[in-house]
Amino acid sequence: MKLSEMIGNLRSDPVRTISQWQDRRFLWVFMAVLSLFMVILAHSVFQIWLYMRPCEQCVYIRLAFFAMAFGGIVAAINPSNPGLKIVGYLCAIWGSFKGVLYSIKLNKIHHAAHSDDLFGVQGCSPEPTFPFHLPLDKWSPEWFKPTGDCGYDNPIIPDGVQLSSMQKAITDFYADGWYLWPPAHFGNMAQCTVITFGVILLFLVVAAACWVVTLVRKRQAATQDASSTCPGRLA
Amino acid sequence: MFKFAKTIVKSFALVALLAGTSFAFTEGTDYVKLAKPIPNAQGTLIKVFSYDCPFCYKYDKKITPNLVPKLPGDLKFRPFHLKTKGKYGVQGSELFAVLLLKDQKAGLSDRDLYTEKSLLKKAKMAYYTAYHDKKERWDAGPDAYLKTGLDAVGMTRADFDKAKNDPQVKALLKEWDQSYDVAKVQGVPGFVVNGKYLIMTKSITSIDGMVKLINELKTK
Repeated sequence: MKLSEMIGNLRSDPVRTISQWQDRRFLWVFMAVLSLFMVILAHSVFQIWLYMRPCEQCVYIRLAFFAMAFGGIVAAINPSNPGLKIVGYLCAIWGSFKGVLYSIKLNKIHHAAHSDDLFGVQGCSPEPTFPFHLPLDKWSPEWFKPTGDCGYDNPIIPDGVQLSSMQKAITDFYADGWYLWPPAHFGNMAQCTVITFGVILLFLVVAAACWVVTLVRKRQAATQDASSTCPGRLA
Repeated sequence: MFKFAKTIVKSFALVALLAGTSFAFTEGTDYVKLAKPIPNAQGTLIKVFSYDCPFCYKYDKKITPNLVPKLPGDLKFRPFHLKTKGKYGVQGSELFAVLLLKDQKAGLSDRDLYTEKSLLKKAKMAYYTAYHDKKERWDAGPDAYLKTGLDAVGMTRADFDKAKNDPQVKALLKEWDQSYDVAKVQGVPGFVVNGKYLIMTKSITSIDGMVKLINELKTK
């Protein structure tokens, strides 16, 4: 389908068009790929390559992305199967909602840690507590064990490590911690993830609502059809 | 039922405010009752902390030194170091315990622990600045870690190794082991009144508010 055609459909019948979109694989795959990309970027690039250690809220945020990726994959198996799609929606909405909460909390901690205004935040936990008490930090320490300090994500280069010139340049660029634009301290990690989670959550809720509305409309149309084709029964 | 209870609590709070005698603090938001109270802690304010915790550093720089002089006279201030946090939590606890007892033997009271005379303070600040400001992680091992604190107070490694086997040090460390049960409730730093009431750090809004809450919990 052409883009102009898609926009045209969206304008003329937004509910039905969005409902059709979520019956297709593309958006589910897109969400799963985006979520996995974020986690792999955080782990393989920032944590392993650039020595920026994850904090407590950061590992919770990873779990939220994994939940969204899982939901996306399950729904993408067959998006027209309602059972798979419900599982997909539940996982993805739960993940993005928790992601928003973790990011807001991380932003508060980040603010307190980087200013003199340190009231209003909880202290630093001795160990992480994951939802449903999953011992993820024991199962996969490399991905889920917080090794950084709460509120800080500066690169910390271990003694004796020889950085390549590229690593040196990038770790210097992020020396004050991760920011979308480090020189101006613009957009910390928490602010960027809250936007990502928030947009996806909004989209999921709208898509789910359009799906339900379309289902209800179809059912109504079907009962109307049934009543009009069998007038004898009513008479 | 819950709403009813809330209304009652609210009206009590209002009465207390109007009476002007005290501020009303709520269990669950301002403080929690520890499921496992710390024994023999009547008449104390315990502060659980870790060198490996940015907010402990911030509190020890800006809050606790100003809080301790304002504490009620009959409340003893006691620092507890948490050994389960940080790569060198165990070594940190040993050194801090040795130095706290050394401070006490030198005649320092609990109120003097934030003055320049305190060896505990010197070592603690040396660790805080090394870890948080200079991003030192002592990758060379525990000996390098201990050197930072020992150099700050001018103690030799041999003296420390001898001192850490003192039964008094061992007894204090055993007491400090209870820090974990406090820390796992809401993290560190954690302030505990009479070994029973843990102040919710996120509800603290000022030093004076903290003093008021401590006074209220002390008489509970």
